[in-house]
Amino acid sequence: MTSTNQRVIIVGGGLAGLAAAIRVAEAGLPVDLFSMVPVKRSHSVCAQGGINACNEVARQQGYSEYQHFDETIYGGDFLADQGPVLEMANWAPKIIDLLDRMGVPFNRTAEGRRDLRLFGGSLFKRTHFSGATTGQQLLYALDEQVRRFEAEGKVSKYEFWEFLRPILVGQGDQRRCVGIVAQDMRTMQIRPFRADAVVMATGGCGLIFGKSTNSVICTGGAASRCYQAGAWYGNAEMIQVHPTAIPGADKCRLMSESARGEGGRVWVPRKKGDTRRPKDIPENERWYFLEERYPAYGNLVPRDIATREIFDVCVNEGMGIDGQNMVYLDLTHKDPDYLTEKLGGIMEIYEKFVGVDPRYEPMKIFPSVHYSMGGLWTTFTPGAYQPAEPAGKHEPGMIPPVGTEVGQGMAYGAPNNMMTNIAGLYAFGEVNFAYHGATRLGANALLSCIFDGLFNGVSVVNYVREGVPSTQPAESLEAACFDEASSAEQAKYDGLLATVGTNERDEKFNPYVIAREMGEEMTAASTVVKTGPRLEQCLAKLAELRERYARVQLSDSAGWTNQSLSFARAVGDMLILAEVIAKAGLLREESRGSHKRLDFPDRDDERFGKASVAEFDPATGEHRIFWRDVQTNLVKPRPRTYGKVESDQKGKQEPVGSAG
Amino acid sequence: MGNGANSGGRTRNVVFRIKRCDGPGKPSRWEAFRVPVEPNANVISCLNWIAAHPVTMDGRPTTPVVWDSNCLEEVCGACTMVINGRVRQSCSCLIDEYAPNDGDTITLEPMSKFPVVRDLWVDRQRLFEGLKKVKAWAPIDGTYSLGDGPRESPAQQHVRYALSTCMSCGCCLEACPQYLKEEDASKWDTAFVGAAIISQARLFNEHPTGAILKDDRLDALLGVGGINDCGNAQNCVRVCPKDIPLTESIAAIGRAATIHGFKRFFRGA
Amino acid sequence: MTDGQGFLQRHYHLLRRLHSLAGVVPIGAFMIIHLTTNSSVVWGALNGRAHIAESAAGRGIETFQHEVHFINNLPLLLLTEIGVLWLPIAFHAILGVAFALTGSNNVSRYGYQGNKRYALQRLTGYIGFLFIVYHVATLRWGWSFLTPAGTTWSHYYAASTLAAALKGAAGQWSVAGVIVSIGYFIGVSALVFHFANGLWTAAITWGLTISQAAQRRWGYVCSCVGAVLMLAGWSALAGFLFVADYDEAVQIEERMVEQMYGHEYLLELKEKFADRPEIGRSAVRQAATRPYPGPAPLIEE
Ligand SMILES: Cc1cc2nc3c(=O)[nH]c(=O)nc-3n(C[C@H](O)[C@H](O)[C@H](O)COP(=O)(O)OP(=O)(O)OC[C@H]3O[C@@H](n4cnc5c(N)ncnc54)[C@H](O)[C@@H]3O)c2cc1C
Ligand code: SF4
Ligand code: SF4
Ligand code: FES
Repeated sequence: MTSTNQRVIIVGGGLAGLAAAIRVAEAGLPVDLFSMVPVKRSHSVCAQGGINACNEVARQQGYSEYQHFDETIYGGDFLADQGPVLEMANWAPKIIDLLDRMGVPFNRTAEGRRDLRLFGGSLFKRTHFSGATTGQQLLYALDEQVRRFEAEGKVSKYEFWEFLRPILVGQGDQRRCVGIVAQDMRTMQIRPFRADAVVMATGGCGLIFGKSTNSVICTGGAASRCYQAGAWYGNAEMIQVHPTAIPGADKCRLMSESARGEGGRVWVPRKKGDTRRPKDIPENERWYFLEERYPAYGNLVPRDIATREIFDVCVNEGMGIDGQNMVYLDLTHKDPDYLTEKLGGIMEIYEKFVGVDPRYEPMKIFPSVHYSMGGLWTTFTPGAYQPAEPAGKHEPGMIPPVGTEVGQGMAYGAPNNMMTNIAGLYAFGEVNFAYHGATRLGANALLSCIFDGLFNGVSVVNYVREGVPSTQPAESLEAACFDEASSAEQAKYDGLLATVGTNERDEKFNPYVIAREMGEEMTAASTVVKTGPRLEQCLAKLAELRERYARVQLSDSAGWTNQSLSFARAVGDMLILAEVIAKAGLLREESRGSHKRLDFPDRDDERFGKASVAEFDPATGEHRIFWRDVQTNLVKPRPRTYGKVESDQKGKQEPVGSAG
Repeated sequence: MGNGANSGGRTRNVVFRIKRCDGPGKPSRWEAFRVPVEPNANVISCLNWIAAHPVTMDGRPTTPVVWDSNCLEEVCGACTMVINGRVRQSCSCLIDEYAPNDGDTITLEPMSKFPVVRDLWVDRQRLFEGLKKVKAWAPIDGTYSLGDGPRESPAQQHVRYALSTCMSCGCCLEACPQYLKEEDASKWDTAFVGAAIISQARLFNEHPTGAILKDDRLDALLGVGGINDCGNAQNCVRVCPKDIPLTESIAAIGRAATIHGFKRFFRGA
Repeated sequence: MTDGQGFLQRHYHLLRRLHSLAGVVPIGAFMIIHLTTNSSVVWGALNGRAHIAESAAGRGIETFQHEVHFINNLPLLLLTEIGVLWLPIAFHAILGVAFALTGSNNVSRYGYQGNKRYALQRLTGYIGFLFIVYHVATLRWGWSFLTPAGTTWSHYYAASTLAAALKGAAGQWSVAGVIVSIGYFIGVSALVFHFANGLWTAAITWGLTISQAAQRRWGYVCSCVGAVLMLAGWSALAGFLFVADYDEAVQIEERMVEQMYGHEYLLELKEKFADRPEIGRSAVRQAATRPYPGPAPLIEE
């Protein structure tokens, strides 16, 4: 008998959290939805370019769901478990249809069908978009549906509530998650909430790198708190640096890949230190280095590659504009009205924040930390498709080896889909490490977020209705374990408050200063290119920061809306996650996707065709990192080169492993 | 990443006068801070600096200023506040534009039409309640696969897309002379909903599935606090950061209300 | 909830729309007629059918007086007046004030043109209403203590009474008269603005103009309507203040009465209004009381 009072907690109201809320509420389970910001303001609102799915036009040109799957696996440099990716690619068209029904204003063709654009890592138009604010439009569509459930009393929102820790009961096999402790960010009240399952959908961790393209709340704090409670963290070292962003004083603002998808070209003057205005530089004196080096994909190579090339051109060759770390992203050859129509959102951002109209003047951009492929480690039940031999490269027009029926890649409704190593604790969206391997292809994140919510939301429901919670619902448990968890957080909070007035406001113990130093160090050591020694140095720096953090000092003792306390608390959690990122990066002695080790330039499938998994030891505060096999029985790993040609003489380097 | 442009170092100072308040029911006070300006600085980066160095201009230690923000690229709507007397997003407010000279002053106040939570952070829940009131959603039959949505001409998409970029920031409400602060949530139902909500009602009336609830929306907007409370000052459209054609929405809902009102009158509600 | 509030809530839309409608028809429509009539004191100079007066100014007075007679001879005048004017104006004013109180001006912060118009609309509403009350009280209900010269209204002497009421005395200016005249200028201007702007917003309220372009175009139309009415109002005012000669007016008025109702009636009337204070104070009282001497003698060189 299932209890009538079973509930599900969803932490995070981005695309993943909202999609999950809709699916779970629709199945009849009450949902408590937690978010640090009104869900409509979640970070997903920033996504610009679009969302991928196979579609009729592409299909008739030889594209297929299977090819989408193959591209994603290849793009991720064969680090992702393959079943879930296949299932996601197969589901993608249904997700677009659903969003369309919800009223997302996708751009339209003359006939009134959904328009498509090119995106990185594919030669087919398979990206659906809504101007250049696709994430906003998708988020709003889901937000509206959740509001509808909220009005019907099926979803309760806890906005401006911060998740502090999961509440676990049992040991070993019996261990499961039965609720969370959260704090009202206005009243500062800390209290436990019971739930039969908890879904983490708390997004990425860009703030660990200081300035990134991420939003203010993307600290990774929530993921870190789960990690500290015993959840595993997978592929932490896989951090995506986006090639095109505008550097700012508070963050780096993304110029979406769609700018290149719509024809944007990346170049620098051929002459070092050319001070002419970009428009005065004739065509033959411009160096379109991406087009030159990657004739097939041109400006639409995957992000890690574009980023490294830009980095190489600026940092190693000193060819950046005016000798600075900047290259041109040029759209001025396009019709201004066309640009407004297709890219209005980002044109506006550039204009607002730089004060220059990119329709008439090339944009100046530089790479910035953007996305975390790594995240809470999750598992799944493989689907029906289990070929005797993994398939080779899938060429356009080939008949896919498998159909698009539900359950080919991942078993539909299996309770463990995207569950962490803790029963009842799920991870959806960017905080989930699945799907993207070592690099995410543009416009695949929105897809994975919504797919997680819709597809795996059913798994949550099944777990609650048929798993342990059906016989031992959270509401029947003793209050003690809940109160205990809550008191622990209360004590931590009180402890932080008590630091006000200590240490005479020494900069060294200022949480903002600690965070800034962490960001600078992580950006310098653990992003575009990494080396063993530099990562060790980084770990030493992080250890120093952690020591300083132990004596952190706050400047606000208010028991009401204490924002700096919330930030300072997150800094502690970020430091821990930063260590995991650096340490996993140090141990992965190969180059794969976004992870580029100068001292290990090649991909090493033998040793590292595996996911890095980190486990926290609460006793010592240390991280244990181990390696787990990745499901690769659907597609055989092959070199990932994107057809690079070495135009210059140094090109004896074989195009194997991760492209250089 | 991207620190290349910031190597110029701090060059000049700007004075921030900030209206502060410790919480609901507490008195307001002004505090001034002198903030060094980085290249490309915006109000948020200065507030960040103050958070790290909470000392007023006259050297008195104080608490960090509290404010609301998230995306920092003017798409989430969180960081709205009143800057130099005008409502706008603080993340897109560039210091070079607002205070080009050394020693220039920038004034920050919380929005005046919403209850203050603390300092510059206000509670905009009423806005979201308004969205519920007008049922701003498409009543779909559930999330299972049922084929694609209705087709739509590019022209129609343009209309809806423009409306759909509303980020619930509240600028249009702050500037509206008809929209007054109301702390008592039980009165929100009869207080003016404001342009943003009216425009959202139009957005969903324009969608074939959304239009199923058109009558409900109009019923809600015909009552006290609805469309008729608009006084056509048209400030809303002037301050909307997303250039949403709010006054067109108001007129369009006005027309729908006219027709709906007649229908209701003659048919009986 | 009290019944009153319940009523308001149930019929809110209806009341709001009636309020808007009332402003246009009948109130606005009446204002157009009224200003047209009044300004006839000026454009009447071009009226070829005026035959009693000799001078251009006189023809204006005659035309005006003619219109006034026409209106005053309409059947069921009082009932129409109450139904079409007093009640709608009261309704429009009371609701208008109630609605205006729900707003708060912020022109100092948001000095957009639209916002200024919004603020002005409310201000002119208040001013206009006060003005109407004064205007009606003095010239219709005969609250002569409110007029500088204590004028008693008689539609037989419409033009001359008006001129006197405005200037504060028959024929010449007084301080009080200047104040009243300025008051009239402001009042009329306010009402015209209120009407023209109201016409513009009504089109939005009712959903006639939706696109920005349509609103702008309609704005031009309303501005023109406003400009024409403003001209009409101002010219009427100027006409009574500067053009219409008091004595000439009285003479024309009396001749018209004589023509329409006979000499007997005129004498009765003169008897009744003999104590009209402004007439008593008139510098040319004597001339006025003498029988009409006929056309002015030709002056020979
Ligand atoms: C500038 C930019 C552009 C992008 N463009 C694209 C694109 O074009 N296509 C694409 O596919 N992807 C894109 N991405 C990536 C994509 O937007 C994100 O990966 C995705 O939105 C993540 O969604 P999410 O649901 O996982 O989490 P988020 O949207 O990040 O939401 C996280 C939620 O968790 C809540 N939360 C976090 N911590 C806590 C806590 N401690 N307590 C309570 N709640 C908490 C937050 O309040 C929030 O509601 C882009 C990303 C960026 C930065
Ligand atoms: S037009 Fe209406 S909603 Fe807009 S500012 Fe004016 S009164 Fe407010
Ligand atoms: S309509 Fe414009 S000003 Fe109003 S809430 Fe939406 S985005 Fe903000
Ligand atoms: S922080 Fe999102 S709009 Fe400014």
